[in-house]
Amino acid sequence: MAVAWIGNREALIEHAAAHAASLLSSSRCPVFSFDTDIDGTRAAIALAERAGAAYDHADGAALARETALFTDKGAMTVAPGETRRRADVVVIVGELPRIHHGLVGELAGTVPDLSTGNQRAFFVVGPNGMSMPPLNGGRKATQLSCGQASLAATLAALRAQYKGRRTSQPVSNFNDFAKALAAAHFPVFLFSGHAAEGLALEMLQGLIADLNRKSRASGLYLPASENGWGSALASAWMTGFPLRTGFARGLPEFDPWRCDVERMIAAGEADLHLRISAATAQLQKKRARMALIVLTKTEKPVAGAAVTMAIGEAGVDHDAVVYSSRTGSLRSIDAQADSQLPSAATIIRLIATHAFAEALPC
Amino acid sequence: MLTKIAGGDIIDPVNGRLDKGDLWIKDDKIVPAPAGGAADRTIEASGCIVMAGAIDIHSHIGGGNVNTARLLLPEQHAAHQLRPAMTPLSNAGWSTFQTGCLYAKMGFTTVVEPAMSPGAALHTHLELADIPIIDKATLAILGNDDFLLSMIRDDAPQTMIEDYVAWTVASTRALGVKVINAGAAAAFKENVRTFSLDDVVPSYGVSSRKIVKTLQAAVDNLGLPHPLHVHCNNLGSPGSADTAAATIAAADGLPLHLAHLQFYGYGTEGKRGFSSAAARLAELVNATPEVTIDIGQVMFGQTVTVSSDVMRQFSARGSAHPKKTVIHDGDGNGGGIVPYSYGKDFYGTMQWAIGLELFLLIDDPWRVFFTTDHPNGAPFTAYPALFELLMSREARTEMAAGLSRSALALSTLAAIDREYTFEEIAIMTRAAPAKLLGLTDRGHLGAGATADVAVYRRDRSIAKMLGEAAYVFKDGDLVVQDGEIIHYRWGKALRLKPPVDKAMVRRLEDYHQQRYGLSLDWFNFPDSAIAREQPFGEVPCRT
Repeated sequence: MAVAWIGNREALIEHAAAHAASLLSSSRCPVFSFDTDIDGTRAAIALAERAGAAYDHADGAALARETALFTDKGAMTVAPGETRRRADVVVIVGELPRIHHGLVGELAGTVPDLSTGNQRAFFVVGPNGMSMPPLNGGRKATQLSCGQASLAATLAALRAQYKGRRTSQPVSNFNDFAKALAAAHFPVFLFSGHAAEGLALEMLQGLIADLNRKSRASGLYLPASENGWGSALASAWMTGFPLRTGFARGLPEFDPWRCDVERMIAAGEADLHLRISAATAQLQKKRARMALIVLTKTEKPVAGAAVTMAIGEAGVDHDAVVYSSRTGSLRSIDAQADSQLPSAATIIRLIATHAFAEALPC
Repeated sequence: MLTKIAGGDIIDPVNGRLDKGDLWIKDDKIVPAPAGGAADRTIEASGCIVMAGAIDIHSHIGGGNVNTARLLLPEQHAAHQLRPAMTPLSNAGWSTFQTGCLYAKMGFTTVVEPAMSPGAALHTHLELADIPIIDKATLAILGNDDFLLSMIRDDAPQTMIEDYVAWTVASTRALGVKVINAGAAAAFKENVRTFSLDDVVPSYGVSSRKIVKTLQAAVDNLGLPHPLHVHCNNLGSPGSADTAAATIAAADGLPLHLAHLQFYGYGTEGKRGFSSAAARLAELVNATPEVTIDIGQVMFGQTVTVSSDVMRQFSARGSAHPKKTVIHDGDGNGGGIVPYSYGKDFYGTMQWAIGLELFLLIDDPWRVFFTTDHPNGAPFTAYPALFELLMSREARTEMAAGLSRSALALSTLAAIDREYTFEEIAIMTRAAPAKLLGLTDRGHLGAGATADVAVYRRDRSIAKMLGEAAYVFKDGDLVVQDGEIIHYRWGKALRLKPPVDKAMVRRLEDYHQQRYGLSLDWFNFPDSAIAREQPFGEVPCRT
């Protein structure tokens, strides 16, 4: 089975890596986008430093909103285990990514054992008709909405009403919500940057802060992408900065606008794009005169790519460390069916050995 | 390779060596002078002081809360602009990579991250694995976790509790156990806002004192070399000296380490209700030989406070500078990140003076440890300036001249003449930490010791001298020359490996399945997950 291609031609993996290295070495503005495990992230960032590249998550917009909550405002958060054991009121804030629907169902199917009431009520904040994760056992969540008002506007109204202020449009079922909060010991708000704008995330944290003046409450952060958040954590410890950081001037520079890789490609700033993701997602339209190197789980070359190299999927083809929203931390997972496909990190390091004299530090 | 460090002033209190002479290194060990041996490499050290590599017992260098602080404060990089060149990721700001380089430049070769949440052990070790050059270690946090509190509430046998502590230490690859405001994080989840030594966690009916005493006994009975590492209740509060005094008294003959005592050195005198109780605490420490402490010295400027004392951090949100914080309710402790700027006002001056008073009034350098509780009191990069303050009364006087007079009037600092000697520095930063952590292979320059060696060229400025080592060897590798990194290598995380009781593993498996809906496998990890060759080094327990 072929695992590497230069253009549309099958190639030895060493030749493909050498060609990728040569393109990288001659690039004046390389950009990396990735959706990978921790080891892949570490290798990609180490390569980005050597190559002077900017790097971002493969689907960076939602992650950037989530990151901005932490870099700009801060937050009150709670661990998923504590949520399961303590949350007597669960508030789903906006649409959650499908990967977290299982956790929501699990919360609906259990009761908090560290809370005296041993029961759990569900609310959902967002416009009417918003899609909802299914709740187990026929449980229903009470909707809190201001008609078709945005999530941020609804949260603002909710916060205002909680503080006893007037609003132009009342939040539906607010009295039920207020009653539940008054009886609750530890309400938890489930949130994500998947569908929530920055203002909505900030408004939610304002509400949580208000609640904590006299009682307890917190937010369970459920990232839009688990790999994305894992990469943000690894990037933070390696460079001091989250994703959307670049090494164009030698030093790492965090700039969520300037190092938005999707924007850099669309604007024609990038002359090389290294994309690393086992998933075969649709690629952004390739610009003329921009070299494309793709590391993905594939049996054929990617159209338009100067180099395609096959990689395995973390936790499927090889052991890996990934971020887990279920534990709120990094987790080691074994390969489901160990395959011959190399990990992303292995291929990145191979490219680096052809491009640079010294091995990557990780 | 045989290396000779020639003609230096050797300061090795453990082996009673305080003379001018040679030190020999063969590969990664210190060896006796070989008879007629010719060195493969000679380091000229005349005019230099030669000490073992320094050991920092309490510095928050990696793990979930530290990393959250990085996320919260991208602007903090301005404080970390000076970077060693020509090393991988050396230009990467406030990062793991820079942490190792900066420590090594000062002659530190082993650093302990003192607050690892057991649930985030893998994350912590991955960060530590990306800190180059130096060896690392961690302390696992217990004392707010439901499993332990339930056992204490239910009067479980002490041996069962010890099995749990042993499992925690072994599975998280820790070098010891830390308790942080015992019971307070659990109480905070039930909306308790203040918590002292004899307060009780509501749902468990267990006092903070009981938690501390239970863990202290467990650590001692298991033969873990490092005594229970205690972050007391009421950190930072006026009157917290009473809590510290009560905790010192509670040691009750068994070893106990109190972390960052400066943050508890606060009395309630004066018109602001905030005064120095350092002299009182120093007297208590002097009179209680089973107690060791580290300081957590405050130095002026911007920093960020990072703590698993979530109750305390929540209460400090109003003082955040800049105005943003993260407060996290974790499975056990959680944590809080509150950026803070220590100003030269009354309060900042008082904290600065209290730390120095404790350093200078506690007589025994074997029982007082050199820390700023990085980054809580100050970044560890402030160490050279702090050494200068300890070793020079003149430097203290000079600095005090620009500080709050009203604060200094409530402190005894101006009346203290003591200046630390190099021998005392070697004890406080080398010999004593090694002894406290059970690291018999380091902290001294005797034959057979690991070749962790720092060579400092004498200078009028103590800060310059101790801030930029002339040479540093780690495991026999020359890693620093003239204050610059010249060789990049990877250290290990030092860990204990106490035997694990199988019945306890089954019990924990059931607990995790039942309470969290997860197998214990979700929290375990193989060494290979760290993706470094030999990521761990094993330290034996006491027998």
